[in-house]
Amino acid sequence: MTLWRRHTVVDRPLTCREVGKLLQRYLDGEVDAPTIAKVAEHLEDCRRCGLEASIYREIKASLARHATVLPETTLARLRRFGELLATEGPADGSRDRGHDAGS
Amino acid sequence: MGSTPGKSVLSDDEAFSRYVLPEIDMLLRVALSRSRDPADAEDLVQDTLLRAYRGIGGFDGGYPRAWLLTIMRNTQINRGRRRRPTLLRNPDSSQRRHERQEALPSAEAIVVGEAFDATVEDAVARLPARFRHVVELVDIDGLSYREAADALGVPVGTVMSRLHRARHRIRTRLTAAGLVPGSKR
Repeated sequence: MTLWRRHTVVDRPLTCREVGKLLQRYLDGEVDAPTIAKVAEHLEDCRRCGLEASIYREIKASLARHATVLPETTLARLRRFGELLATEGPADGSRDRGHDAGS
Repeated sequence: MGSTPGKSVLSDDEAFSRYVLPEIDMLLRVALSRSRDPADAEDLVQDTLLRAYRGIGGFDGGYPRAWLLTIMRNTQINRGRRRRPTLLRNPDSSQRRHERQEALPSAEAIVVGEAFDATVEDAVARLPARFRHVVELVDIDGLSYREAADALGVPVGTVMSRLHRARHRIRTRLTAAGLVPGSKR
């Protein structure tokens, strides 16, 4: 997904200000390939922006360490529930469809 | 993940198996980020699966994850459950600590790493709920901006804005704790 719609990737190097606006989306993988290349180029050359990027990478890594370990027994029950829905329909015997999803 | 053509040639049961069953892990992960109680999270996923089963006939095969997250959000609203978020949902922190120790090279680095993680955790706990929810969905559960927007029922721009402001607050607390230099921006 390209979210940097109001700009086009230019031939000149990006400024610190431009990289600052793009940095979070860059770190989240939410910019397109040309933008990734331009930001990466700037981060290699600019110590201040490179430091800023490394700090936010560390914050993201720290948050990722909190990721939930899914409880296997619960997951197994839900998978079984889903498979039964697909093969036998709901437990109440009703297989009526075409309503209520997303409502 | 993109639009998947050919849904019209599948039966509803086949479509359910193809588009819904592979997303059960993701649904449980997001449900757990919405509820401290694993039983509540399991109930929410079950209800979501049931609604998806009943609605699969009207689903066009495009972006199943977004479709399911929207169903889950609406299901939760209809259930009238309050979201009770928490950052530390995994009681088995010893395993995480062990993994951190293996990744860090020295005792000093371990202390700094643990202080960093503890400060980040504290900063997240202090965030306003609307910011914390986005951080949990994107940084902890690994959803894209679009998926987080679907899960919360807000525009993508709102997800971006909240996420960036939340991270800035986390960074500010790390600076106050002396763990990272201040921002010169």
